[in-house]
Amino acid sequence: MRFAFTTEQLELRDAVRDLLRRECAPEAVRAAWTNDTGRAPKAWAALAEMGALAVMAPEATGGFGLTEVDAILIAEAAGYAALPEPIVDTMLIAAPWGLVQHAQSAVVVVPESPCTAWADSADVVLTLAADGVRTVPASDCSLVAHTSVDGARRLFDVSIPAGCEPQRPVADAAVAFRRGVLGTAAQLVGLAERMLTMTVDYAKEREQFGVKIGTFQAVKHHLANARTKLEFARPLVYRAAATMAAGDRSAGLHASMAKAQAGDAARIAARAALQCHGAIGYTTEYDLHLFMKRTWALDASWGDPAWHRRFVGAQIL
Amino acid sequence: MHVVVCVKQIPDPAVPGALDAYNTLQREGKLILDESDSYGVEMALQLVDAAGGGEVTLISMAPNGEVSGLRTALAMGAAKAILVSDPALAGSDALGTAKVLAKCVERAGGVDLVLAATESSDGYTGTVPAQMAELLSMPALTFAKHVEVADGKIKIQRQTEAGYDVVEASLPVVVTVTAGVVEPRYPSFKGIMAAKNKPVDAVTAADLGLADQVGWAGARQEITGVTQAPARQAGEKIEDDGTGFEKIVGYLEKLKVI
Repeated sequence: MRFAFTTEQLELRDAVRDLLRRECAPEAVRAAWTNDTGRAPKAWAALAEMGALAVMAPEATGGFGLTEVDAILIAEAAGYAALPEPIVDTMLIAAPWGLVQHAQSAVVVVPESPCTAWADSADVVLTLAADGVRTVPASDCSLVAHTSVDGARRLFDVSIPAGCEPQRPVADAAVAFRRGVLGTAAQLVGLAERMLTMTVDYAKEREQFGVKIGTFQAVKHHLANARTKLEFARPLVYRAAATMAAGDRSAGLHASMAKAQAGDAARIAARAALQCHGAIGYTTEYDLHLFMKRTWALDASWGDPAWHRRFVGAQIL
Repeated sequence: MHVVVCVKQIPDPAVPGALDAYNTLQREGKLILDESDSYGVEMALQLVDAAGGGEVTLISMAPNGEVSGLRTALAMGAAKAILVSDPALAGSDALGTAKVLAKCVERAGGVDLVLAATESSDGYTGTVPAQMAELLSMPALTFAKHVEVADGKIKIQRQTEAGYDVVEASLPVVVTVTAGVVEPRYPSFKGIMAAKNKPVDAVTAADLGLADQVGWAGARQEITGVTQAPARQAGEKIEDDGTGFEKIVGYLEKLKVI
């Protein structure tokens, strides 16, 4: 059995990375903190044009009919860029069910997340509940705004119209939840990688006491700890994707393990990054904030690590 | 319309480059499409679209049968590629490279237009396109910032320091395009998947009849030494005792800026 990604999967990922490097540079993420929607419309349109959002959409509707394994590489690249868009909800959940086309976007309301990001600018809202999945046009929902630690994520309590019956069965709610958890875990891995890369670069450049700060053992330890945590979390994310794509019954368990570990890894990377950057890390004008705050927000979304640990515990005991 | 685009595959500029024993750039690892060539590829695709038909052929000379950069350009929409990869080509100078590429243009056959960047991002000689035009007995229209093709003629806006010149020629021609002439498209997922099945014609120097004229054997130039660019000199520091502005004014006057 082959576990490595295929050349084609990596080529698709590289194409997305390259696009995001240009269209979703930190300036674009920063702009989303103050623009109308909190989003990066140019990057989103380019991703749609490229076909990345339709990676799991059915081939009959112009999609590629690929699996979670292909999608997580894209989600990871989106995390690396801190792409301020509902890419997980759209690419992994709504598009495979044919609920969005081209550059449309969807957001998913889940009981495990206190609020839903970008519900005001999405086209479609999905709710996951104990009796199934409901799909409603976003314009029919009523919204109450909340403030997020991540200025790009416009958060809302979402209420769908009364009397709306589930269109998809309860089993689909479980599928959607797993995919959302998996995609968010992949984004967290991408964020951790970005913060670690930024910090290693900084430690090689910044001098104190006449030497690069990367030569200090205390700095090395922080970075090595963060790297170790990340390299142990990443395979869990890839395994969860593989079991989900194979329809394995352990997929939900694996997704929760991945989310808990990816969240821990990204939080630890954020903390190490903040500390190793010294005072500059505390200034909001510095790009690190964009990635740290996205990390904190995503770590708490789709169930925080404590929720997922409880879930794993209940499953295996 | 048949457009040929010269495509160079270069080491990733994000990775620090290294020189080999002959003072030439090491090209052992994965090579990528030179960004300056992506403008030529995009321009070619747009011109073929505008002409209502035809195809784009890529030509490239690279070591180790490298196709990564070509794949990117094929994924953008080019139809096929000719790749010249041969250990005998190592050490080729600009003229040697031009000979190889000119033979590729002939091999492609029925070419209306050859597009290239003004210069590569790793070699910067900027001489290959004009040499190639001479070898092919085609006019060379360089530094195009705008290109139009109609009725067997091409009209370009040639970038100058003061603005631009309008230059016309009959096809076939060699045209070099500046960065920013068009906005290169991103390869789509469909394009990336299709690129795998597009034909790449792999040839050697001998196949092109150039065995003795290229590589170290044919090179008329050699790189005898490489030195670091001089470091910037330290500036003059002036403590401001309240009259610092006078020093600045004096300095600017000396430069005849004010």
